[in-house]
Amino acid sequence: MRRPLIGLTAYAQQVQYNGNDLMAGMLPMSYVKAVHATGGRAVLITPDDPGTDVIESLDGMVFAGGGDMDPALWGAEPHPATEIDAVRDTSEIMLMRAALEADLPVLGVCRGMQVMAVATGGSLHQHLPDLVGHERHRAAAGTDPLAAGAADFGRHDVELQQNSRAAALLGDRLTVNSFHHQAVDDPGAFTISGWCPDDRVAEIIEGREHDFALGVQWHPERTGDLRVFAALVQAAAQRSGLAHTPAARAA
Amino acid sequence: MRPVIGITTYVEQASWGVWHDLPTALLPYDYVRAVTTAGGRAVLLPPDDLDADVLDVLDGLVLSGGADLDPALYGAEPEPLTVTRPERDAAEVLLARTALERDLPVLGVCRGMQLLAVGAGGRLHQHLPDTLGHESHRPAPGVYGEQEVTFEPGSRIAALMGGDRSVHCYHHQGVADAGSLLVTGRTPDGLPEAVEDPAKVFALGVQWHPEVVRDKRIFGALVAAAGHSSG
Repeated sequence: MRRPLIGLTAYAQQVQYNGNDLMAGMLPMSYVKAVHATGGRAVLITPDDPGTDVIESLDGMVFAGGGDMDPALWGAEPHPATEIDAVRDTSEIMLMRAALEADLPVLGVCRGMQVMAVATGGSLHQHLPDLVGHERHRAAAGTDPLAAGAADFGRHDVELQQNSRAAALLGDRLTVNSFHHQAVDDPGAFTISGWCPDDRVAEIIEGREHDFALGVQWHPERTGDLRVFAALVQAAAQRSGLAHTPAARAA
Repeated sequence: MRPVIGITTYVEQASWGVWHDLPTALLPYDYVRAVTTAGGRAVLLPPDDLDADVLDVLDGLVLSGGADLDPALYGAEPEPLTVTRPERDAAEVLLARTALERDLPVLGVCRGMQLLAVGAGGRLHQHLPDTLGHESHRPAPGVYGEQEVTFEPGSRIAALMGGDRSVHCYHHQGVADAGSLLVTGRTPDGLPEAVEDPAKVFALGVQWHPEVVRDKRIFGALVAAAGHSSG
């Protein structure tokens, strides 16, 4: 039986590699490996196409991290530190709405969680240091905040709402990495089910009306804790009749 | 629904913004635009050698350019200038073979054409300047070489190109033996520039880079064949 096919939203980005400097469709391999390690097959969905017909081919989606969303989407003026990626905004909002409408299992990571909120009428804080007065949600690029001996920057705890779907998956509390300067303010159609206990910044949102719609503000794909990817792939398999899940066996 | 065209990706240590040298699945955007312009929906296929089941949802496949194939695939020892990506080789050999078995439309570009030739039992020249004594297939880093190709009358590529013979190349390896494939285009130095399998619904390899000019003749034919295959 084939593995669930998981579409991951990709960047369209100028990149440098091996002396080349060109526009590429691209995504860090950490996302791809997280999907493959949890039993899915990853394909990358580029943002150039306005159409959402590709959804029909997929069993689940990951909305990946990246640049900031355009504050005009929730009626705000851009903050000086906001660097938008308008091409991805347009494409990913359409894909997100189509995926939720089709009840396709969806995992939002960092920017992807923010897309979940904004696509369903929510809003973001544009620059967390202004709000919370510290920089601890933003690790230095290229660092591993969860490594032994790493500085406090980019590492904090998350407290989960009891009885939430996220808590059933992740428990009451965990420590996460953190690479963002924006954050969900109004979660739109979703429910906030996890916070940073230090400053009450939203770290998890979930859909109660959907089979599987989960957003996390941290980067699980850069860690060994792939539980949210495993849950996505399982939900995708179950939706598409690709695996014997505990629920299917019980039925 | 538009035909879904899977395109194999590179995996390279890439840098962008504040990020440096992260292992990254990437594909020059020209390929995506070429497929989109031709009416297809591109999805990118990072390497994965567990199985080729992703082909179940694809209507066509593009084997993209990139680094050199491992010479072990055609029974040779690597030469000094050969640079390989074993992770891509394993995944793409499996995808190409399975796609051809299923008669899914396949277009190979540059490295992708070489993969088709090697998969058909052929072999490669590992460094063309050593073989041909000139560098016109890759004049300088980042510079495409303009070449005149003679196409085989009656071949698919001859029909697609019309009277046009000018192509843009960028490669240092080339097809020495196309195996069971037909060589349907050559440069004046005799090097194969196009290969095809006329028994398949659409199996074409080109040594040049039609995606850079969004060549609708070639990508359009792939998407049309993919549309027919998907019914």
